[in-house]
This record gives sequence, structure tokens and C-alpha cells, in this order.
Amino acid sequence: MSALGELRTIGHRKVAGSSKEKNENKAAYLFLLPWFLGLAIITVGPMLASLYLSFTKYNLLQPPEIIGFGNFERMLGDERLHNSLGVTFVYVFVSVPVQLGLALALAVVLNRGLRGLSFYRSVFYLPSLLGSSVAIAVLWKQVFGTQGLVNVFIGLFGAEGHGWISDPSTALSTLIILNVWTFGAPMVIFLAGLRQVPQMYLEAAEVDGASKWQRFLRITLPLLTPIIFFNLVLQIIHAFQSFTQAFIISGGNGGPADSTLFYTLYLYNRGFANFDMGYASAMAWFLLLIIGVFTAINFWASKYWVFYDD
Amino acid sequence: MRGTRVGRKATGLIGIAAAAALALSACAGGGSTPPTAELSEDPVTLRFTWWGNDVRTAATEDVIAAFEAEYPNITIQPQFTDFGGYWDKLATETAANDSPDIIQMDEKYISTYGGRGALLALNELGDAIDLSEFPDSAISTGTMDGALYGIPVGLTSYSMMANPVLLAAAGVAMPDDESWTWDDLSEAGAAVSASGGGNVFGVQSWGFSDGDLKNFARQHGEDLYNDEGEVSVSVETLTEWWTYLKGMTTSGVTPPPSSTVEKQNAGLAESFTATNTAAFGPWWNSQLTALTDASGTPMELLRIPTTADAEEGSAYYKPSMYWSVSSRTEYPAEAALFLDYMLNTEEAADLLGTDRGVSANEKIRAYIEPNLSETDKAVVAFLDDLADVVGDAPALTPPGGSAVDSLLKQYTEQVLFGQATPAQAAEGFIKDLSASIAAA
Repeated sequence: MSALGELRTIGHRKVAGSSKEKNENKAAYLFLLPWFLGLAIITVGPMLASLYLSFTKYNLLQPPEIIGFGNFERMLGDERLHNSLGVTFVYVFVSVPVQLGLALALAVVLNRGLRGLSFYRSVFYLPSLLGSSVAIAVLWKQVFGTQGLVNVFIGLFGAEGHGWISDPSTALSTLIILNVWTFGAPMVIFLAGLRQVPQMYLEAAEVDGASKWQRFLRITLPLLTPIIFFNLVLQIIHAFQSFTQAFIISGGNGGPADSTLFYTLYLYNRGFANFDMGYASAMAWFLLLIIGVFTAINFWASKYWVFYDD
Repeated sequence: MRGTRVGRKATGLIGIAAAAALALSACAGGGSTPPTAELSEDPVTLRFTWWGNDVRTAATEDVIAAFEAEYPNITIQPQFTDFGGYWDKLATETAANDSPDIIQMDEKYISTYGGRGALLALNELGDAIDLSEFPDSAISTGTMDGALYGIPVGLTSYSMMANPVLLAAAGVAMPDDESWTWDDLSEAGAAVSASGGGNVFGVQSWGFSDGDLKNFARQHGEDLYNDEGEVSVSVETLTEWWTYLKGMTTSGVTPPPSSTVEKQNAGLAESFTATNTAAFGPWWNSQLTALTDASGTPMELLRIPTTADAEEGSAYYKPSMYWSVSSRTEYPAEAALFLDYMLNTEEAADLLGTDRGVSANEKIRAYIEPNLSETDKAVVAFLDDLADVVGDAPALTPPGGSAVDSLLKQYTEQVLFGQATPAQAAEGFIKDLSASIAAA
């Protein structure tokens, strides 16, 4: 059974009401308290404060001043914001499918009982740990720079170098490649999912004369759909929130010519560089709405393609 | 039963929200208590923040050491970054009520911080800082509504750095900067690019800072902002400016756009000027020493070219930066003592040189002149030479105008890469900058 299926089962279980269990619940809540305090102080508190700020004009240095829906009205006419949404959508909807496709393909290859599996798994997983770090973004800047490794490599074949990061037509692609490169985390989840595909189904199909490809397409893939769904939801949310890579690689302003101006980066610049924190808060809540809508669409669509084997 | 529990939870959350809101407004409203100007006998630690290059950082750390030796109970904690990261950090720290005590302030931000109560009015400290040697014209550039929010550290003027070695190699004579025009610049630059074979260019691109634009606008009898704090440069002038830059790029006088963008993001040491790969580059004249150090070539300072029918007095002295003190500092007296040390003592002047501009303090300026290095002497001489032709300093950047550099960069890049025509960029820039000022 998949991880997600298990979660569903836990959700379905009836909660019994004996007094012993109530005491256990109290103890559980007590243990949860530190986490809950953290949630309240570090997450919920600032979120509510930002909700309040989104209805204000707030320049960081003076007390906020309530202006109703003024910030949201300004967002309608803000062309840079619309451009940043476009950049973000391209980034999310190109990088996530490619990343998951690659993750799945490598998981299938690794699942064939390769020798030294744990070594390969670690090597492929490593980029996901590093991918959103500042160090890797700095490295990326070097690799794709005019004097960078990529140009040295294509120079070997006589091709002419190119400033990949400083040209607006290719800058976003380098960020997409960086996100694809962090395929390790979904790959490990896919690997776990593949291990749970019952061997007997595959053996039965093999006896019936199904080819390798048919077995993958008709048995493995359908059984894996909950995992694919889980990864898809997670990675889309993650990609919408990307910030560090674009901030470092573009030198903080989403250049060249706004080609890497992620929504989050524009939000940050409005808040901290332009002292327009009310507007930035409104933008943050709009981002939450966008992510919510896409996650809802994902869940709605999952009814038509995700297969739960229970 | 269940309903009340949910209700109680909700009330709890509202309580948290209210507390958070209160805490926020407390941050924003604090710091109004009048400062005490008594020096303390106890150990005092002051945080001091600046942006700048390596030469500046080393010199500043030397001054701190000299000051600490003289006042053993005061410790100065340095905190420095590059210009880009500096402002994000300062904004965050100030909003969090954790501002450094002594702040290196820029003309683009002084009205934003000063006008909103984040800076101490230094004239209220009495005579803790001796300003008697500073001309009124300099002091007025740091004054808003009668409050002195920043003391101008030094003066600079916009200039064209010329690399004599590259010019000689290309067989181009050093231009006469008292009469040269923008056409002369592109002609000389074209000759350098032609002999540079794609590795050396005539002119380093500009269009990334407000200094570039302000000088050009003033040559056309305009200014970036008027006294009311509105954007007052015209679409025509901006269009002409970007058309000229675009023409220089298309004809190869300036480097290809993507190289320009890459170098632009990398800082002074990586610039075309510092790497001896462009014969001309527009810079503030105070950068002469740093650029000469980085390139190993003795650069020459030239005046910015003009148009044949340019307005008189288009050049101006800009306060290179200001010393400001946070309005929330616990130790205004010690902060003032340190500023006084940096501004008025010969020890500090010896160590600091001209990297922050030629001192606005006339006594100090006379004192340091004979001891200066060759490049620092050239920086002073350039300003002295300009004295006959400079006009009044432009109006202070209004609050919200700090977005100007990032907007200029964005539109210059669009023009260079052909994503916008100069006219479209001009209209977009004026609209965006005005909106940013209106929102502040």
C-alpha cells in the first residue's frame, strides 16, 4: 500500500471515546505543545499580521494605515506583476513535469536491482538537498556564465559561447534546469512506491505474455499514480515558492529585463527595496490563493486519473 | 459542546493576531524619546554599517581601530556589504527595531529614512559634532525640514574614467574634456573597439544608475525630480538618452548586452574599466583610486561629454554619502563622538583618503591635500577644476524614489536586448517611477 493510501486509512479510522484514550490524548497534546507554540508564534501569528497588513499602506518605518482593498486594486494594473506571474507559470509548468518525468525514469532504472543502488540513490538525491541553497545558485551563475563550464564544454565542439544567464532569452531556462536537477527527492519517493508494486501482478502478466513496456504501462504506472499525484502536488507548490535561485542568479532584481522576475522575487523587492510592505503582503495572499487554486484543481483532476488500490 | 471549543480556538487566534498587530505598531512607533547626550563611563558597543569596496573596508577598519585605541570603553562593531544587499538588510533591521547605530546613508534613501523618523536629527545633539568647517551648501544637502539627518561625508561628481594605455594602443588621442561631445565619445570609442578585436571595447555601457541619467537630463535643462518630489525628466530626453546608448551598442562601441549585464551584476572589480577591457567608463570620480588599484592602470578622470548646445552648470557636486545615526540608538553621545572623530580629526583623514569622496570639511581638505596619493590628488583636482562650471545640487530623491536604479536597470536591459524601443522604455520608466513615489 502506498504512503498516501495509508494516510487515507488513518483518516478513516473511528476515534473511540474511552476515558483512557482521552488521557492519552491529553499527553499527546502536551507533547505537541512545543510544536504548536512554534506554529502559533512563527507561522500563524505572522500570517495573520500579513493578512492585516495587506489591507494597509505600510512603509516599514511608520505605523500601517488601513486602505481597504487599495493594494489589490493596484495589483490589477501592475504590469510588472503580470509579467512576473507569466515568468512563474512558465517556470512551474515546464520544470515540474520534466523534473518528475526524469525522477520516474531514473527510479525505474534504479529499481531493477542495480548493484550499488544505495550509492546511486544518494548521489542522485544530493542535488535536492543542495538545490535551493545559495552556494548552488552561485555555482550555477559560474557554470552558465560567459566564461563558465557550459561554454568551455560546447567550445570543445567548436560552438560559440553564450552568456546564458545574462541573456533574457535563456536566463529562465537555466533556472528551470536547476530545478529539474533537484529531481532526487521525488525520485526517492518513486523508488519507495515502486517497491510496493506487488510482484505477483507483474509475474502473472509476464506469464500471460505481456511485454516489459506493457507491464509498466498497465500495471506499474496505474499502481504508482497516487505517488505521482503526491509528488505533483508537492513539487508544484514548491516551485511556486522558489526564490533563492532567482534572487542570487539575477543579482536580486529578476533581470535581465525582468526575464527571471519570479512572483516571490517581485514581492520581496516591493516589500524590502521599495518599502511597500502593504502591497507585498497583498501579493503574498494572492500567491496563497493561486497555490490553493492549483492544488484544488489537482485534487479535482485526480479523481479521473489516480487509482487507489484499496 | 464542539461548537464552543472551536469558538474558543478562534478567539485564541484573534488574540494572537491582535498581539502581533500591537507588537508591529509598537516597532513602528518607538524611538521618540529624546536622546541623552551624556558620554558613558561604562563599556559601550556601537554597530556601524557601510557598503563599499575592499579598499574602503580596510581603511574604515583602520579608523575604527584608531578610535577604539583613543576611547577604550567604546567598541565599534563593523558590518559591511555590497551596495545591493545593503539596503534590503538595513530596511529589515530598521523595521525590526534592530537598526545599526551608525549608518552610512545614500542620497537616494535619506528622505525615505529621515522623513519617517528612523534617523536622529543630528542638529539636536548640540555641539557634539563640530560642523563649523562644513560649508552650508554641503550641510543643506543632508537637511530636511530643518532637521539634519545626515552629514555629507564627501563630495563627488560624475566623470568619465579614461584608460590611457588602451587609448594609446588603439592610437586614439586623449580627448579634450572641456569641449568634447557625446559624438566625440562614440567616435573615439569606435576606434578603440575596432582595434580591440572583440576583447577590448570603446565604452563601458551605462544606464544602470541615476547618476548617469541625472547628468544627461541636466544637460538638457531638465532634472530627474523637481522640488515637489515628482519625476520631471521628459520622455523626449529619456528617449534620446536610450537611443544613444542603443546606437553605441549596435555599432559595437559598447560591449554586447549580455556581457554588459554579466559584468554589471559582478561589482567594481569585475567591471570593464577595472579589467582593462573598455577605454572609457562612466563612474563617480571618487572611484578613481579603487579602479586604479583594481586595474593596475593609472586611469585619467575626464568630464562627462556634453551636447553642443548643452545647458550651463549641468555638472554638480553630489554628497557621496552621509553619516547618519539611528533614532533608536541607545548611545547618541558616543555615536556623535565617533562621527566627530571621522569627520574632524587628521588621524581619521589620513586613514580614510578620498574613497568616500573628497571631504566636505574644508580644513580637513586643506590638510590632506599635500599628503594624498597621486590618484587621490587627481580626485581633488578634478573637483577643484569643476568649481567654475558646477550648478546647484539637484533636488533630493523623494521617498519611494529608491526604486530608480532597479527600474533603470530593467528598462536599459529591455532597450539593449531590443525588447522595448527607447520611447517605450522612457514612458514605462516615468510611469513606474512615479507610481513607486506615489505608493511610498
